[in-house]
Amino acid sequence: MQARPRTFCLTSGKGGVGKTSLAVNLAYVLADRGKKVLLIDGDLGLANVDVLLGLPVCSTIQDIICRQGDPLESVSYLTPQLAILPASSGVPEMVTLGPEEHAQLDETLQDLIRHFEIVLVDTAAGIGPSVLWFGSWVDHIIVLVTPDPTSMTDAYALIKVMAQNYQRRRFHLLLNAVRNEQEGRQTFDTLAKVAERFLHLSLAYLGSTPLDPIVCQAIRDQVPFIRLAPNRPASQAVKILADRLASMVSCRPPRRQTPPKAKLA
Amino acid sequence: MQSPFPKAPDCPLGAKTCPLLKVLRRLHQECRRLLQLAQTDPLTGLFNRRCLLKALEREMERTRRTGLPTSLIMIDLDHFKRINDTFGHHTGDQVLRAVSRIWSQNIRQLDILCRYGGEEFAIILPGTRLPQAVRLAERLQAALAAGPVCPNAHSVAITASFGVASFRPEEKMSAKRFLARADRLLLQAKMQGRNNVQYQDSSLPPAPTGVTQEERLAFYTKRNAYEQTYHHASQTQDVLPDQRQRRRG
Repeated sequence: MQARPRTFCLTSGKGGVGKTSLAVNLAYVLADRGKKVLLIDGDLGLANVDVLLGLPVCSTIQDIICRQGDPLESVSYLTPQLAILPASSGVPEMVTLGPEEHAQLDETLQDLIRHFEIVLVDTAAGIGPSVLWFGSWVDHIIVLVTPDPTSMTDAYALIKVMAQNYQRRRFHLLLNAVRNEQEGRQTFDTLAKVAERFLHLSLAYLGSTPLDPIVCQAIRDQVPFIRLAPNRPASQAVKILADRLASMVSCRPPRRQTPPKAKLA
Repeated sequence: MQSPFPKAPDCPLGAKTCPLLKVLRRLHQECRRLLQLAQTDPLTGLFNRRCLLKALEREMERTRRTGLPTSLIMIDLDHFKRINDTFGHHTGDQVLRAVSRIWSQNIRQLDILCRYGGEEFAIILPGTRLPQAVRLAERLQAALAAGPVCPNAHSVAITASFGVASFRPEEKMSAKRFLARADRLLLQAKMQGRNNVQYQDSSLPPAPTGVTQEERLAFYTKRNAYEQTYHHASQTQDVLPDQRQRRRG
């Protein structure tokens, strides 16, 4: 019997801070490190993971929920180690799933993730029902932040909602698009101080990835930047982050903080 | 509510008069009539108490499935016995009918208005959160105050007391207990001097506080916080005289 896979979500509140790009690259490195990885596109209404990879999609999470499709059929393997579960695009009703549909999603996903060691969910922007549900569903929440004050306040708002409505206490902060390590640290410190003062939470610092033009280039070329330029600063940083995630997986499993069934606000 | 008895089909052989179909149609008609009798209150034409409980159970199940809360308003006409005693039971009945009509016109399409008994009413509000339910109750209170309810009793102002409760999907509660919760609030409204709306704070979801101004300010640097206040002050000073001039001109 294989151990239960460890689940992570990448979320940020604000859009356009690099969730999908980082999720794809992290998944790639983790798979390279020999882990069996499943990357779930959690942006159920405006999916992008497939676009970022230039991947043809014939079946999505929507087919699983709406047409009782076999989840394994919706999964496409990029490498023997790396699987992608794509979502639908331009389907507003997928954004506002109710408790019963979330329960169904949980059931099918639990069944699916048994085949993997690490599950990464790239969530949508905002604090909609699907974002909050994935946030309560995973073992570890990774909050992506850039040094922009708008990104910081949105990340903080998301953390507050997850803490208050879903009793989550642990958040791993990943600083993206920083000019240097110091800027990442400063941004983290600001957020950590506010969270400590108002929410009595101590945030965890997962690491930072530098502002690197290769990231934009890779998005336009529809390839992971880790493939396009494995030695660029952004790629190096992602490798370090992937190792940290991998070490989180190898340590003891976390206590489930919330029941898998999402509590409604 | 939709009738479970659809119209009888045409004769499959195309016969103009079919004795069997005739009987079938009559039976359907009779069933519809009986169903209506079983569901409605004869005086007001509203749904009756039996129907209320069934509909409430159904809506609470819908809440569990969809996550949208169900709200319930319990209403009692104030000092109704006085009307009966002063003007007679006939006038009392007229008042009940008039009030039913006014409220029917003021609820929304999906709301289910029932006569609970005597001068007590209940309204099921499917997929409605507490604040919206309270607003509706206040609208019904105002509608009652707006017009003369009954020509025979126009010297008496007809008012009502309202108890509003909400059922959320994470609560474990039977339809009867939900009714009792709204009824308790109605009693509170009575004790508060009647003609008012009472709702339970605990049935309000924890107020969505969001990120407060204080928390937001913690992300501002001192410099731009200062510029904001300066900008705000200069705006009020500059704009006001301008506007005054324009008005004079």
